[in-house]
Amino acid sequence: MTASPPRRPALWSAAGLAAFLCLWQGTVLTGLLPPAWVPAPSAVPGALLREIGDGIWFTAIGDSLGHYASGVIAGSLLGIAVGIGIALLPRFAAAQAWVARLLRPIPPLAWIPFALIWFGPSETAAAFIIGVGVFWLNYFATDAAVRAVDPGLVELAAAFGQGGFFRRLRRVILPAAMPGILSGVRAGLGQGWMAVVAAELFGIPGIGQRMTEAAGLLATDVLVLYMLTIALLYGLTDLVFEAVTNRVLAWTRP
Amino acid sequence: MDTPIAAAAAAEPIVSVRGLAFAHPGDASGRNVLEGLDLILPRGGFTAIVGPSGVGKSTLLRVVAGLVRPRAGEARLLVRPAPDRRPSALVFQDARLMPWRRVLANVAFGLEGLRLSATARRRRALDALALVGLAAEAAKFPSQLSGGQRQRVGLARALAVAPDLLLMDEPFSALDAITRNGLQDELLRVWQETGASVLFVTHDLDEAVYLADRVVLLAGNPARVAQDVTIDVPRPRPRAGLARHVADLRRALEENFIGGAGI
Repeated sequence: MTASPPRRPALWSAAGLAAFLCLWQGTVLTGLLPPAWVPAPSAVPGALLREIGDGIWFTAIGDSLGHYASGVIAGSLLGIAVGIGIALLPRFAAAQAWVARLLRPIPPLAWIPFALIWFGPSETAAAFIIGVGVFWLNYFATDAAVRAVDPGLVELAAAFGQGGFFRRLRRVILPAAMPGILSGVRAGLGQGWMAVVAAELFGIPGIGQRMTEAAGLLATDVLVLYMLTIALLYGLTDLVFEAVTNRVLAWTRP
Repeated sequence: MDTPIAAAAAAEPIVSVRGLAFAHPGDASGRNVLEGLDLILPRGGFTAIVGPSGVGKSTLLRVVAGLVRPRAGEARLLVRPAPDRRPSALVFQDARLMPWRRVLANVAFGLEGLRLSATARRRRALDALALVGLAAEAAKFPSQLSGGQRQRVGLARALAVAPDLLLMDEPFSALDAITRNGLQDELLRVWQETGASVLFVTHDLDEAVYLADRVVLLAGNPARVAQDVTIDVPRPRPRAGLARHVADLRRALEENFIGGAGI
């Protein structure tokens, strides 16, 4: 048997976070962990002010957001389009099946050398690396969502003169599969931030590049600052996406 | 006054089924579900198709609706096509509403395939919704309706496209008895108001005898027309006074079931 949930879960969560920070601060202050290895959390606000003062923080965020947005949008749209194609067109599904099996296991980061050779250390290269991972998440989520559409609704479309491929797609398949498609997009939004940093570690300007520089100088407070910055950006994108999803899928919980 | 038999014989036909054979495409045995089926439906009539489950009643309905193609023979809808209405419309056993559309948009679904302005679509959807008494629920989602209300929305969606032929596939079988009786009377009222022809599939003999002016019994494997009975009881019919017709049909059903079904 599980215990009953707390009356104010947010309060418990805040207390947990505070305890974590205190423990961290304590281990650094007592010398349990050498300060050269781990910065005290109290050092992070100072690092933030310095990075903002030098005009670096907003530039790095802007660059990374640009890579992230183009990679996630392109990867999601392409993944959704191909996912719909394989779910609805058996010949296309069969034609791409082995190609997908060949390419799918390659981790997005393994594409970094080729991205740099093809596009140079550019925004396109970063977007490409991000897009690869996002593509596969959307590909599988969309395929599953479209296959799960109630065949009765497809028959309904045919019975009421909406059986043509594109009418059926727009009026029945897409709305019915939307919850599953959007859950794939959401997974891609998280995966995208992981790839952003990795892509920029190889000389493409942005948060990742700034972290490489800080690592070279052993500026651990700056490193932690940017780790937390990524967490913040991920939290924000997820929050915005959840709000959008709640509007689009209002019918799932009237 | 004409007897219903004479009226049916005199009326021009709306559906002509001749030599129909059908086999499910996925069935490896290739056996026909329907074979050598002939059926003429008079315009404006209310015909019920009864028979044991799995006999091919719903399949016949789908062939007439043009959703599946027969292996042999034909099922022709003798309707002059018009750009602002559909020749036939289907009401399903499950209401089959689209959960992401509000009630009014569900009713308007079939209208989106017709040549109509947005205003005309809206007006016709509202009219159809009023016809089944659900005008007040137009802005709700299907999940907010009762089972009977959902089935009414399905009926309104079919009525909205002003079909010459209303095809109904056991539309009330999932409802409780009181709701079912209410909807049966409502269907009769709508049928008389719109003048549409109805082809109504059911496995419920009482329902068939209460609603239809003609009951066609499908039986056998492959299925054929085993009985074709006219119910010449004037409407409104006494629900309790139809026992003789039901008993006759039940006897015919049992004879055919045991005699030649080969289950």
